[in-house]
Amino acid sequence: MFLQLLFISSALLTVLCAIGVLMVKNIMHSCVFLLGSLLGVAGLYATLGADFVAVTQIMVYVGGVVILMLFAVMLTGGKDFISRAQNLLGLPASMGNKLTYGVGLLVGLVFVLTNIKLLMGIAQTIPSKMINNEFPSTVSQIGHLLVKDHVLAFEISSVLLLGALVGAAIIARPRKQN
Amino acid sequence: MMNLYSYLIISLILFVVGLVVMIARKNIVAILLGIELILNASALNFVAYSRYVTNNLDGHIFSLFIIVIAAAEAAVGLAIVIRFFQIKETIHIDEATQLRN
Repeated sequence: MFLQLLFISSALLTVLCAIGVLMVKNIMHSCVFLLGSLLGVAGLYATLGADFVAVTQIMVYVGGVVILMLFAVMLTGGKDFISRAQNLLGLPASMGNKLTYGVGLLVGLVFVLTNIKLLMGIAQTIPSKMINNEFPSTVSQIGHLLVKDHVLAFEISSVLLLGALVGAAIIARPRKQN
Repeated sequence: MMNLYSYLIISLILFVVGLVVMIARKNIVAILLGIELILNASALNFVAYSRYVTNNLDGHIFSLFIIVIAAAEAAVGLAIVIRFFQIKETIHIDEATQLRN
């Protein structure tokens, strides 16, 4: 029951946010929809019993890649990026408006409270599913596999990450003024 | 309901949407978003087959390496985008017509 609810919500979040990435004109809103889609994929990993992959997805994608995308969008926005920015209420200044902060705080509080009510109701109706862990933990097996069977790919990925970081730093260095 | 085919359908939708984003959008950052969606579709396929078909953890390892490679690709791609914006003052994909300078 809990797994099916998690599956349905994650699948809907993934698909609807992916379509949102496609449909929305503003690139900043597109990045935020991508964040929702990646969170949905992490929920799908959790329903497949892949706990380590789900947490890694949230840490690397949502905490790293989407933030990097948002930085790139803000750095390459151009001059008229700020003046054209509008929120859903049509207010021009989306940074530092008291009404937007108030509405955001209210919506967040209502969202969190309703979700806590819903999740507590589900957890009280089916306590056995929550206590009897349906999937065993995969962390120690993944650790053993990474240093036994797949150790070559592991080392090559470390070299790849080093090369990618050095290359990104060299490519994006400031231009020489001459 | 929670079987292999539902995960494959979700992965198919993610792949097709990512492909359409890569083709239709003219912003370079949006094209990178489409690449991220396609990589997520493939990683989801790996984990779904690992759960329902092979019953070992090799698909999880593949998925982790896909996440690592996507992070590296995003770092290099966004560095190229920032460099392109420094030169051309735009990030429209049709402006990228020459390799040098």
